[in-house]
Amino acid sequence: MKRTGLPDWLSDALPEQAAAPNEIAQAARSQVESIGLPGLRDEEWRWTNLRAIQRGRFNAPSGVGADIEPGTRLPLDNPVRLRFVDGVFQGVPDDVPEGVTLTALADADETTRAAAFSPKPAPSVDNPNDALVTLNTAMAREGVVVDVAANTVVERPIVIEWLDGATESVMSHPRVLVRLGQSAAATLLEHIETVGEQPAWRNSVIVSTIAANAALTHIALGLDGESRLTTARTFAELDRDARYHSYNIQLGGRMIRREYDIHVGGSGAHTDLIGLMMPRGKQLLDTHTRITHAAADTTSNEHYRTIADDAGRGVFKGRILIEEDAQRIEAYQSSNNLLLSDNAEIDAKPELEIYADDVSCSHGATIGRLDQEALFYLRTRGVPLAEARGLLIAGFAQEVIDELPLTDLRDWLTGQVEQRLGERSLPADSDA
Amino acid sequence: MTETQELEQLVKREYKYGFTTDIEQEIIPPGLDEDVIRMISAKKNEPEFMLEWRLSAFRQWQKMAEPEWAHVHYPKIDYQALSYYAAPKTQEELDAEAPESLDEVDPKLLETYEKLGIPLHERAALAGVKGANVAVDAVFDSVSVTTTFKEKLAEAGVIFCSFSEAVENHPELVQKYLGTVVPQGDNFFAALNSAVFSDGSFVYVPKGVTCPMELSTYFRINAKNTGQFERTLIIAEEGASVSYLEGCTAPQRDENQLHAAVVELVALDDAEIKYSTVQNWYPGDEEGRGGIYNFVTKRGECRGDRSKITWTQVEAGSAITWKYPSCVLKGDDSVGEFYSVAVGNNFQQIDSGTKMVHLGSRTRSTIVSKGISAGRAENAYRGLVHIGKTARDARNFTQCDSLLIGDRCGAHTFPYIEAKNSTAQVEHEATTSKVSDDQMFYLRSRGLSEEDAMNMVVNGFCKEVFNELPMEFAVEAQALLAVSLEGSVG
Repeated sequence: MKRTGLPDWLSDALPEQAAAPNEIAQAARSQVESIGLPGLRDEEWRWTNLRAIQRGRFNAPSGVGADIEPGTRLPLDNPVRLRFVDGVFQGVPDDVPEGVTLTALADADETTRAAAFSPKPAPSVDNPNDALVTLNTAMAREGVVVDVAANTVVERPIVIEWLDGATESVMSHPRVLVRLGQSAAATLLEHIETVGEQPAWRNSVIVSTIAANAALTHIALGLDGESRLTTARTFAELDRDARYHSYNIQLGGRMIRREYDIHVGGSGAHTDLIGLMMPRGKQLLDTHTRITHAAADTTSNEHYRTIADDAGRGVFKGRILIEEDAQRIEAYQSSNNLLLSDNAEIDAKPELEIYADDVSCSHGATIGRLDQEALFYLRTRGVPLAEARGLLIAGFAQEVIDELPLTDLRDWLTGQVEQRLGERSLPADSDA
Repeated sequence: MTETQELEQLVKREYKYGFTTDIEQEIIPPGLDEDVIRMISAKKNEPEFMLEWRLSAFRQWQKMAEPEWAHVHYPKIDYQALSYYAAPKTQEELDAEAPESLDEVDPKLLETYEKLGIPLHERAALAGVKGANVAVDAVFDSVSVTTTFKEKLAEAGVIFCSFSEAVENHPELVQKYLGTVVPQGDNFFAALNSAVFSDGSFVYVPKGVTCPMELSTYFRINAKNTGQFERTLIIAEEGASVSYLEGCTAPQRDENQLHAAVVELVALDDAEIKYSTVQNWYPGDEEGRGGIYNFVTKRGECRGDRSKITWTQVEAGSAITWKYPSCVLKGDDSVGEFYSVAVGNNFQQIDSGTKMVHLGSRTRSTIVSKGISAGRAENAYRGLVHIGKTARDARNFTQCDSLLIGDRCGAHTFPYIEAKNSTAQVEHEATTSKVSDDQMFYLRSRGLSEEDAMNMVVNGFCKEVFNELPMEFAVEAQALLAVSLEGSVG
């Protein structure tokens, strides 16, 4: 297929000096210039159109808005805040817990920067499906490195605040590296919020390595405004007996595409991927996950739910790859989807790719409407239709929210979802 | 028995149907251009519209690229090195009319069928002996050499003939339906087929008629280095119903053979078509050399309300299978079904599944796919369930199970699910596992040998699909499965 290359405005924005070590940055730069952005003909992008970015003409951040605060206060206990305004890192906070080292990416040494740009599983620089990571590698100048020393359990959540849209048509390509030493434990929370009404595009990459017996909890909370475009990718590499728990809650944004690449590389390691996406209006919320079981005796559990309303679109692709000789694997995946409107759309692709025989793998995917019997039951109890529907939808979402580890955040989120459901108008087919 | 021994025994299994029948053949020299297509069309005395249709397909094909998305690997095919037409020399004699007795059929052909193990009564049917109840439209390489039971079918008004005959005798039907389900430019292989297809089967069941017998065709790939491009078109008019069986084997080969068939089914109001396949083409030797490349486009359209199309397949052969029998559910209340068992052994590669496209209201579809991988085979299910905006209260149920025998094979599931109507109900479930030690232990403790126990488990695993096969095929399929997996357990 003929590829058109990067649009001129994007190509012109490629920096001479990036945060990645020179060799890596140069390779990424020359590849991405010829490959360009992924299109609908690239398998991983068949349901997600990047036209809005392609035609967007986004600019590098101007550096204003250093005093911007998030509009939403999350109920968190004394968080460590790492603030990015329009992708620009606002500096390391003064009060850092013991055992945690925070470094601005620009200040990190060469080895660390190389680690930030060499995730496992490695994306390939010449694969169009991975073009956005390659673009990030070529573009990234801002970022932060979070190091947690061995045997350190960090109680305070580490919060990355992505505050975007302070200036008009801004784009950013930040890179974050999170490293957990042996038997360490930490919670990383992405607080994603739009601070202005301006269109903005963030193309961020988080690379994490989790040493033996360490555990990383990673919560992504998308409260973006309606003009946000996000393409975000997370890499997690797990050593022996390591844990990676991901919670991906997406409520806002115009087009949000999140990708997770989990490399379960040490025996006894386990990963959970939990997600809730609620597209409405004309939102497109898309999550692609890939779990690679590269070692024997590893397990994974994935549970995603989508509730699509209005003309919203929900896309889920989950792939489980079990490599040759990775025996005694248990992998379970489910994708449950609710379609609330005839203009909404759900696309799902749960994949299994298995090269070992002693495995127990299953996936299930469902798309449907509200249980008519449950609705009937509630109505016979005198619950008005709109309320009955609201109860059932909230219940469907709650099953995911209940899995979140932070109690206060869980309750706050329940309120958010209820509020959203309260805003929805009754569809035309009010008998259903 | 150790694993190495098992594998050795497994790969040494000789291809049961490995032989070549020595019949002189008329072959067009290798290569493909518009002249070759004109020559094919001229040789078959086709009307002008067919030639135009072929040429238009060829022009589209030239602009297309060979698809690479399937989970299969094979050396690049040089389409200019293939020969696009082969017909037995005795074509004129054999084509003339169904033979009165066995003596009138080329004895070499009968010999072939004998080696294929075609049941006696079917051989009799082939020869036109009275009382046999399965009609066989035998396709020997590309040209149908004999057709039987025409009279009995004609009585009912059913047309069952070779595609060439249909073009000659029923051009209006061919022109009306050909390419309406699988258009010329549908995909690379379908376009190639549309340009050069040699022959195939044609079935037309008129309004309200239930076809009095099950229709069956044996496909054979015979001449060395000739691609086989079959074209099948089945039309069931309002309220009609028909069951069609397709089965095939092929001689052992060193060089890969390309098979790019197209099957189109059209079901009008209240019509029902059941299409069953048992496929056992040469899968290649123990190194994975040779073997058939099976790149097939099969699609049925439930055009009428309350129509129904059922695909049932048992895929045991071929080096590479690339095949997605699909249903387009246009009519309201129409039903699509897909039942499949795909067995891969040695170096076989299978990328197969189905597409269910729901467009009409209250359309329903069921997908049951059972994949078995042994040796170093790669077996992938790839399917699409699409619920369109117009499909109110559509319903789909999909079940894909994979069974792994040995630790060097692969089993994969790539389902695509798209829903655009809020009343849609789609359920997909897939599992992958090996035969459990518990199951084996239970059966062994009842005195079964390990191999018998394995066969029993495998048969149980496939039962839901076998139940959908016509009786004679079900028996054949079970035997085929046992042979295919012979030696895979100790």
